[in-house]
Amino acid sequence: MANRHITIFHGPQHPGITGNMSIELDLLGETILKATTHVGYLHRGFEKLIERRTVIQAFTIVCRICVPEPDPNEVNFAMAVEELAGIEVSQRAKYIRVMMLELSRLAAQFLWMAGQSGSIGLYAVGQWAIADRDLILDLFEELTGGRVYHMYVYPGGVRRDLPEGFLGRVEKVLEHLKTRLKLYDDIFIYNASFRQRAEGVGVIDAEEAVKNGYVGQVLRACGIEADVRKDAPYLVYDELEFDIPTEQAGDVYARALVRRAEMDQSIRILEQVIEKMPEGEIMAKLPTHRKFKLPKDDTWVKVESARGEFAYYMAGDGSENIRRMQVRGPSLVHAYTLLENLLVGAELSDVALIMNSLGICPPEIER
Amino acid sequence: MKWKVDIGGTLSPIGILGAFFEKPNTIAYPAVKKETARSYRGFHTNTLDDCIGCANCQDVCMNDAIDMIKVDKEYNPKNSSQCIPRIDYGRCCWCSLCTDVCPPSSLKLEEEYLGITKYATDFLYMPKNK
Amino acid sequence: MNTLIRNRFGTDEIEVKRDDLSKVTVVKYRVFELIHLLVEQYGYTTLNAITCADWIEEGHFAITYMLTTRARRHTFMVQTMIGREEAKIDSLTMLFPQAEIMERDLHEMYGIDFPGNGNLVELSLENWVHTPPLRREFDTLAFVNELHDFREGRDDNLDVKAEMKRLRALKKAAKEAAAKKEALKTEEKEEASQPSAAQKESGHGK
Repeated sequence: MANRHITIFHGPQHPGITGNMSIELDLLGETILKATTHVGYLHRGFEKLIERRTVIQAFTIVCRICVPEPDPNEVNFAMAVEELAGIEVSQRAKYIRVMMLELSRLAAQFLWMAGQSGSIGLYAVGQWAIADRDLILDLFEELTGGRVYHMYVYPGGVRRDLPEGFLGRVEKVLEHLKTRLKLYDDIFIYNASFRQRAEGVGVIDAEEAVKNGYVGQVLRACGIEADVRKDAPYLVYDELEFDIPTEQAGDVYARALVRRAEMDQSIRILEQVIEKMPEGEIMAKLPTHRKFKLPKDDTWVKVESARGEFAYYMAGDGSENIRRMQVRGPSLVHAYTLLENLLVGAELSDVALIMNSLGICPPEIER
Repeated sequence: MKWKVDIGGTLSPIGILGAFFEKPNTIAYPAVKKETARSYRGFHTNTLDDCIGCANCQDVCMNDAIDMIKVDKEYNPKNSSQCIPRIDYGRCCWCSLCTDVCPPSSLKLEEEYLGITKYATDFLYMPKNK
Repeated sequence: MNTLIRNRFGTDEIEVKRDDLSKVTVVKYRVFELIHLLVEQYGYTTLNAITCADWIEEGHFAITYMLTTRARRHTFMVQTMIGREEAKIDSLTMLFPQAEIMERDLHEMYGIDFPGNGNLVELSLENWVHTPPLRREFDTLAFVNELHDFREGRDDNLDVKAEMKRLRALKKAAKEAAAKKEALKTEEKEEASQPSAAQKESGHGK
């Protein structure tokens, strides 16, 4: 009985793909009494780097703030600069941006599946998910020149036009992914052992979720229909048809079902975008980079990423540099206020499961 | 955890065995190489007959990675400074802003991306003349 | 709502930036009264973020609280200015538990004190003893130059504008020298033809 009360460091490596952060756990046997989150392995100092760069130079490093899903960062930066400087974006550029965001959302959801299945030991599904995500990365390579960090969504439009026959290739990849997703349903989502482990674990209360500023699937699995694309539409989302899936239970299994349903909705949006893509210009005319000045004003823009609401605060000061750009990712509140409370009373083997289901991405907590 | 009877959920994962009969997703590298798209951002190339030595690339590079050094022979009589760019690959992030602002479009990025060397000085890369 | 806030708190007109975004600036000691009013009476149930911008030339930080309605349709930015020396503002943790981590982040990066927040320990930086990094007076280039050496072999970098000037001056000097030489040559040619005429005359004379 002597050694039942110990403190361990659930270190920066976790089962499944969560990212580099660690949790210090006080355990009594296998039950957790207290949890403290530690980040700091990925601090790169983006908010200070931006201060010495002009606007066009800063756009190239913004995508690196979030590793699994870089596109919401680029779109947020572009939207904030366009709002401060008063630049209009053409319809074709808006449709291409929506296509990039939805493809990026699909790729991030596949990465989530790899992480969640890894956290319960079903590594086969994880390997398949990475291979299917690779097809989407091939599309990105052809369009933008980079597989993960695209540097493509420019303030004022997009950087390159669609190559010949690109939309046909996107359609083929979507058809292939639709058949694969049926396989994932049989083997992972409706798997009896996953259900046994995930139901009733990590339950979150709906009222607390609204007040504490939780976002994304955490809210939707508690029965609250909240999505930036419907609440405060940006780009061309008010012209497209899609639903917001919700569940009632608020546990790990409900969040998994919500994410699976969102992948179907993403494919539905992409099919509409391919059909409706208009012709036109892709880029507005901008002054040269040392003469592009932002007025003295500030703004707050937000975008729905695969994990929740991603927001930027940007302030200009009349010169060609940006005065302040602050990033509010979805994981800041989830990793501290939510995780430290949710883990009290949980079992040690459920820690990785809960971390994956909350969608915590450490790079955006500490930028 | 109480036992709930779930026949469908217990039997359906057996479909995973079908993967034995599918083509593998991996390729036999290095015997088979994956094709890279032409628009991939790889190493730099500079057509020295067109380069005018204006240093727009050095001005826009956001990591101060480009040095303008003296050229060894006169490739382009219109080059008003007789200097050509050299790039420090320890600092470059391959954003290709330098290729966007080049007036004669002589600086480009090719699809080669593999480079292995023992010496750190090889990071100061002279773009190939193509 | 506009007139009530203006009259009660003495602020300027509420700035409407977009359909879903408004902003108001109040003095520091009335911020919490305004936040309580928005939460209790107008349904702004969630605190989304606390942001800070450093206006060093005006001598203050601009702290902004982002409040959102329950349906997430409208966001209200409540902005206040606090001094840069002895930067301090009361903590919101009693009302919103997520304010604890947001204030911890600002404390580490700007050095602002939040009395009432019991957990202002380090977040991303370890054993940091210099100026809080996001303040404008912290110069990253000077800091890095002090602590690290840069890669060798980059000394042959030339200033392109200076090179262009130098080459142009060289070309001009070369042109002038060539022109002078030309002029000298033609003079010599004329002189060469002159003595032969004189010789002929003297030859005749002899």
